[in-house]
Amino acid sequence: MSKATLLSVKSITKKFGGLVALNNVNITVYEGEILGLIGPNGAGKTTLFNVISGVYKPEGGRVFFDSVDITRKPPHQITRMGIARTHQIVKPFNEMTVLENTMIGALFGRLASRITMGEARKKALETLEFVGLIDNADAPASKLTLHEKKTLELARALAAEPKLLLLDEELAGLNPKEIEESLNLIKQAKDEKELTIIMVEHVMHAVMNIAERIVVLHHGEKIAEGTPMEIANTPRVIEAYLGEKELALKFVKKLKPQK
Amino acid sequence: MGSAKGTVKSYIGKPTPILILALTITVVFARIFNVATLDTLVIFTYFITIAASLNIIMGFAGYVSFGQCVFLGIGAYIYALSIYYVPWMNTLQKIGGEGIIIVGLFASSIAALVAAVVGAVVLRLRGAFFAIATIGLDFAAMYIVMGIVPFINPEQFYGAQVILPSHCLVDKSATFTAMLITMITVLVTNYLIKRSKFGMGLVSIREDEDAAEVMGVPTARYKTLAYTVSALFTALAGAIFYLNGGGVYSEAFDLAHTVDMIVMIVIGGLGTVLGPLIGGVIYYWLYDTLLIHYPGVNLIILGIIVALIILFAPEGVVGILRKYEVRGVRLREILE
Amino acid sequence: MGLSTVVISVVHGVLWGIILGAASTGLTLLWGVMKVVNVAHGEILLIGSYLIVILYAFLGLSPYIGLLASLALGLITGLAIYWGMLHKLVGKVEKVTLKIEMSTLLIMFALSVALSNSYYHFIGSEPKGLGLWHFGLKSSIDIGSVVVRTNSILAAIVAVIIVAALHLLLTRTTLGKSIRAVMQDAQAASLVGINPVRIKMLTTMIAIGVTTLSGFLIVLHETAIIPGTALIYTPLAFVIVVLGGLGNVLGSFIGGIIIGLIYGLSKAIIALTFNPLASAPLALSTAFIVLILVLLFKPEGLFGR
Ligand SMILES: Nc1ncnc2c1ncn2[C@@H]1O[C@H](COP(=O)(O)OP(=O)(O)OP(=O)(O)O)[C@@H](O)[C@H]1O
Ligand SMILES: [Mg+2]
Repeated sequence: MSKATLLSVKSITKKFGGLVALNNVNITVYEGEILGLIGPNGAGKTTLFNVISGVYKPEGGRVFFDSVDITRKPPHQITRMGIARTHQIVKPFNEMTVLENTMIGALFGRLASRITMGEARKKALETLEFVGLIDNADAPASKLTLHEKKTLELARALAAEPKLLLLDEELAGLNPKEIEESLNLIKQAKDEKELTIIMVEHVMHAVMNIAERIVVLHHGEKIAEGTPMEIANTPRVIEAYLGEKELALKFVKKLKPQK
Repeated sequence: MGSAKGTVKSYIGKPTPILILALTITVVFARIFNVATLDTLVIFTYFITIAASLNIIMGFAGYVSFGQCVFLGIGAYIYALSIYYVPWMNTLQKIGGEGIIIVGLFASSIAALVAAVVGAVVLRLRGAFFAIATIGLDFAAMYIVMGIVPFINPEQFYGAQVILPSHCLVDKSATFTAMLITMITVLVTNYLIKRSKFGMGLVSIREDEDAAEVMGVPTARYKTLAYTVSALFTALAGAIFYLNGGGVYSEAFDLAHTVDMIVMIVIGGLGTVLGPLIGGVIYYWLYDTLLIHYPGVNLIILGIIVALIILFAPEGVVGILRKYEVRGVRLREILE
Repeated sequence: MGLSTVVISVVHGVLWGIILGAASTGLTLLWGVMKVVNVAHGEILLIGSYLIVILYAFLGLSPYIGLLASLALGLITGLAIYWGMLHKLVGKVEKVTLKIEMSTLLIMFALSVALSNSYYHFIGSEPKGLGLWHFGLKSSIDIGSVVVRTNSILAAIVAVIIVAALHLLLTRTTLGKSIRAVMQDAQAASLVGINPVRIKMLTTMIAIGVTTLSGFLIVLHETAIIPGTALIYTPLAFVIVVLGGLGNVLGSFIGGIIIGLIYGLSKAIIALTFNPLASAPLALSTAFIVLILVLLFKPEGLFGR
């Protein structure tokens, strides 16, 4: 049985002045999968997230979520429909507490129209417990470390109860132990909450390990798509991004055998 | 230990409603026992009202509405012209505080409508651009009033002054009642907003508007609503205040009114419910004592105090208090 | 008769616009380079105006000496404003966030409260001016059918000189280039060895200095000033800076002329079609309507990109 399509990005083109940040990009995301999105700096990964979440309006193409055209919808409506994201450069609400930050996620997320303050608070506490930030619940968000701020981004997104989660370099700047922790968290969240995830990542072994499929962007164009194994063997990807073939295969060797 | 903490907490656990109540009782007693003149009480409650009104857009949502006084002017002019020209409105306002509030709500609804229409457009601007646009709005409105009002009735409204004839004047105890009701309402509104989903959304807009929008906060709608509510109360306060003074002048559009509001909420604590209340009390006290002891230099000193607060205690009095614990209760958790 | 009303009004508007343009350059510099929203601009202008008047009226010193004194006082005031108020807010930060920008607005606002009330208290609210001083020339000059006050014309000439000097300073000197580098990217500028704190301090001094210097233009053009004069010049300066684009000195100058022109034209039109008494306030309101329109549709200014 073929899996249902949750998101489809159709011929998206986004320009900044003369710069073509996304050029006719097509991507399909299936329900329940983790899709890795990789590519060199400036490839257009964050821009694609911004188009999906409604922050940027593309010059061409359409985005469908749950078969609804969301291309021209404002970001807050898209979030309410069930797409949540984290930011590559963290954007905590500094003067609010960690709990309040997370409550915003719950209050204005997918359940926005029916959730009460009390329920949102409960939801936020649960989420903080889940991501391991519960001890900091009453601390102002500005006081957190970078790792904690990244985790807060995740908590805010999870509290929104999304169907689709967009993670933008959630692991960047973390040490190996923190990467391990965050990866486990993401996997666990995906299983427990039946999430679909698109994950932008430069930490190659991590994304190769966790993603079921990978899309590679380069200069705003999709240059490859496939399983991690296929990607690591694609000459254009190696040339554009991964560097040496040896190195590329080393990532794949680190892969756990697929079930 | 734990139980002691519990009792203290239950005792002072809700200082905000208690303080609003205490303020109301103090003002009412001051009136009953003639501690202060009616004019003093009207000015005092007016100060707190306008501070708390501005707090909704500037304190919660972080939009520095420098030209907020435009609503003061609009409210005051529409009120004065309404009772001047519409006999039944004049009759209505003469029944007492409630009557003034009803006619005042008519005038301030028009101001709120202006805020909703203008806000939907101008609130697209951020930071200083928004602040300047509101100044522009205020000046545009002021000059239009100065240019047009005199021609409505050249003999009566010379220099855009609308001096109310004696049959339009009301008893000062009625304007006091109206202002007191307005003050309580705007303080309670601040309190309710702060604890609501709407309030949390506004604060998230202040902290990072782009992030708020992406997290699902309908930023455009929330900002406009906050601006509208803020304008409604400002205009109501303006209408009652100038009625109390017996007439309205183009001075109602003077940025000095925004000065009063901003000074109070900066002293008290921007974006807190108690900020306008505490700031208003301190401001009035400073204003009064400084005026007595240092007439003329009082506002100079006030300017310096505000500068010092911005440099060294940007969260104002409430922010300073929040850093402390009282008998095991972190004030941060209970001061709103 | 209608046409001559228009011509007179436009000539006066443009002269005023030139003066306004020069008087707004300090604001654009401070805002553009340092993100300091100087809502005390009008009061700072008056520092210069009042100094010149006081030196002239009480000490009998020539306004030319007053001119130099107002520049010197402005530089010192700028130094004091930087270290006393701005350094703590913007001195060390690489990127001025919206919140910091709002703090600068509030602190300059506190300064404006203190300054304007100082004027009321120490100088008084009566109009003050240079009386009959007009550069030792005739008090007015006839150009065809238009009579213009000598002081307005010479103030406009001085305004052009001020703007030209400031423009040369910013484009031709190392200091000016450093200032523009910090304006574009403070972080990158510090990487190439520019000390941003020093540049911010000097920018504040220059901006405040050129503002107090322009106080000379105001006192000449207005004939007499009162503390409330500041309340007209602050908002108008913001209108002009927004028109010209933040940090764009020449843009501000041209923005000033445009506003003067709009003012003059709309004043004449309103006087002819509606009522002469209403023409001044309504013409001023058009300047602010222009402001809101520009902010909404071309926030980068008329000359930006
Ligand atoms: N708001 C913007 N205005 C102008 N150019 C932009 C904007 N946002 C992105 N760009 C440009 O678009 C291109 C793609 O940027 P994007 O941030 O999407 O890259 P990325 O793949 O996320 O890179 P990184 O791995 O560094 O995060 C870059 O050249 C970037 O400079
Ligand atoms: Mg990116």
